[in-house]
Amino acid sequence: MKRRTFMMSAAGAAAGLALAPRMSFAAKGQIDWYTSSDTNILDFWTNIVKPAFEAANPGLKLNLVDAGDGAGIIAIGERAIAAKQTNADPQADFFESADALLPAGAIKAGVYTNIKAAGLSNYSKVNPLAIESEYSLPYRGSQVLLAYDTTKLKPADAPKTWDALVTWIKANPGQFVYNRPDKGGSGGNFVRRAIHQANGLDPKVFNVGNYTQEFGDEALGKAWKLLADIAPHLYDKGAYSSGNTQSLQLLSQGVVTMIPVWSDQVLQAIEQGVLPAETGLVQLQDLALCGGFTRSVVIENGANREASLKLADFMLSEEMQSAILTELGGFPGVSWDHVSEDLRKKFADIIPKTIPTFPGGKWEAAINDGWYRHVAPNVDRKS
Amino acid sequence: MSEFVERAVSVPTETAAGRRPIGLLLVAIPVFLVIWLVIWPAINAISRTIWRTDADGNSSFDLSSYAFFFSDRYSLDNLAITLWTTLVCAVLLLVICLPIALYLRFSHGRLPAYVQALAILPMFVPSIILAFAFIRVLGPNGMVDILLNAVGLPKIRTPYLTPWGPVIGLVWDNIPLTVLILLSGLGSVANQSIEAARDVGANTLRVFWHIILPRISNSILVALSFSVLGIFSSFTLPYLLGPASPEMLGPFMQRTLRDVQDPIGAMTQAVVAFGFCILFGLFYVRSVAKNRGK
Repeated sequence: MKRRTFMMSAAGAAAGLALAPRMSFAAKGQIDWYTSSDTNILDFWTNIVKPAFEAANPGLKLNLVDAGDGAGIIAIGERAIAAKQTNADPQADFFESADALLPAGAIKAGVYTNIKAAGLSNYSKVNPLAIESEYSLPYRGSQVLLAYDTTKLKPADAPKTWDALVTWIKANPGQFVYNRPDKGGSGGNFVRRAIHQANGLDPKVFNVGNYTQEFGDEALGKAWKLLADIAPHLYDKGAYSSGNTQSLQLLSQGVVTMIPVWSDQVLQAIEQGVLPAETGLVQLQDLALCGGFTRSVVIENGANREASLKLADFMLSEEMQSAILTELGGFPGVSWDHVSEDLRKKFADIIPKTIPTFPGGKWEAAINDGWYRHVAPNVDRKS
Repeated sequence: MSEFVERAVSVPTETAAGRRPIGLLLVAIPVFLVIWLVIWPAINAISRTIWRTDADGNSSFDLSSYAFFFSDRYSLDNLAITLWTTLVCAVLLLVICLPIALYLRFSHGRLPAYVQALAILPMFVPSIILAFAFIRVLGPNGMVDILLNAVGLPKIRTPYLTPWGPVIGLVWDNIPLTVLILLSGLGSVANQSIEAARDVGANTLRVFWHIILPRISNSILVALSFSVLGIFSSFTLPYLLGPASPEMLGPFMQRTLRDVQDPIGAMTQAVVAFGFCILFGLFYVRSVAKNRGK
């Protein structure tokens, strides 16, 4: 027993040493790259982008680092601001996914590069719908769709409007599930679609600055009624999965017939056989479910600013944008006119005509709080 | 096992006087860590939730966040489900682990070694892996359903996304600690006293009730307060296996801080959770103190 305890603690200490952060210094020609995205994105960069970029640019290397989540990227951004003030090396060159407005004051401090003014040869190809700031580069996007099992629901009968969807959910109790709105974008954007539905199908009604308690209570209250109305007809009389992956799991185990999904996750799941090839995809035609773009940021005071801009330009090339479609299942950051003809035909069913969005900020907090208080508690579930 | 315990108990009495300064020095590091990482943040959270700065920049004594917590149906439901889960887990742990520990203590040979290895296994399984394995086995259309279906039985009502999901996961996760503590407690039950009781005609139940249970009641209290503290503040299993609402305090706090962006609300929940954990902790401290006093 005692020897076993000793072995266990020795093994633990050894593991701890191996995992301890290693010192690193920025090297010339090595782009320090950080992401807050999921593993599938990191895999895409490791297996596709890195070899292609390094082959096209001899002497340049990519150092791919997972920053964990958005907060991780913001922390490195703060480090870059601090480094700028002391003229030190921020040891960061490129954020794969970042919000140019965060950390607050990064643009003013001159830490983020103005990409529009940087003279990228491919910048004019970027989808104008996707541009949010001159300081960030939307290079890939994805949108929430509905995925369904075609063995249980014929594609011709798949609902194409919100009302048809609600009718279908009520006619097929227990066959639809969406995840908690703060635990993954697929459920989150399904909830936002309900908010659009309850407020005249006009995404322009909501913007990042117009949240007030009264307007929020009124606009969201109507949506909670819609969602509470369908709750008893959902999976297990109103259960909500705790993330995008868990919803996909319920669909793949044949427990439910339809779920909202991210376009990139579902295409990849079908590709890898996690979901069967008989999985159908449909987008609501009266107003699409929300989507979003991932935006990259180049660090102005990074040691490899020029190389990072080369990387940014490289990501907009036709080769990489096609790879985003075929390998990642995302949709391109450039306008669809700049995507090859056969790819445009192949992905016709996920090409969005519009990409509705929903503001974050106080709206997000209000949605996250309100949904848990008004929709999630379901008194009838135990029966 | 019993030798080991006796030796461990006898060491401090021999050398306590001579080694006092070194002992204090050794204790200083953990005490410093506890003050820095636990006590100071706790005091900080308490003071920031009762001494609040309003919009005009004036700070004053303000209990409104606690008033909100204890008048808000939603928060109280979450507290209730947390207490319910903790209580059910504690009872189930005792019911499951006590027989295992008794078996391991009083049997010899190779089989008990395998049983012990199996009982300790959950310690080495990260809870996130446990959660996804749970979904694949006990989840809807999972392995259990497939097996039942193969022999023509109806599907189970799956505990996934109901309050029973976290209960099953947490009990499994806490078995090793509980078994180990109970086992070390059983080490202090001398074989001679059991044999003596048998000689005067006591049956198994009487031996358990009058000889074994009084000797290990302390260990039971320690085992339960340890697992109860962990369960009360657990996060991963209730988050992945439990229902969206009511939710346990762990996920509730995390969500209030990050997703609802309400740090004061989250700190209030943390202080309330801390209050309950102090109650459980008092049981542990009391039983340790009683033990030392002997």
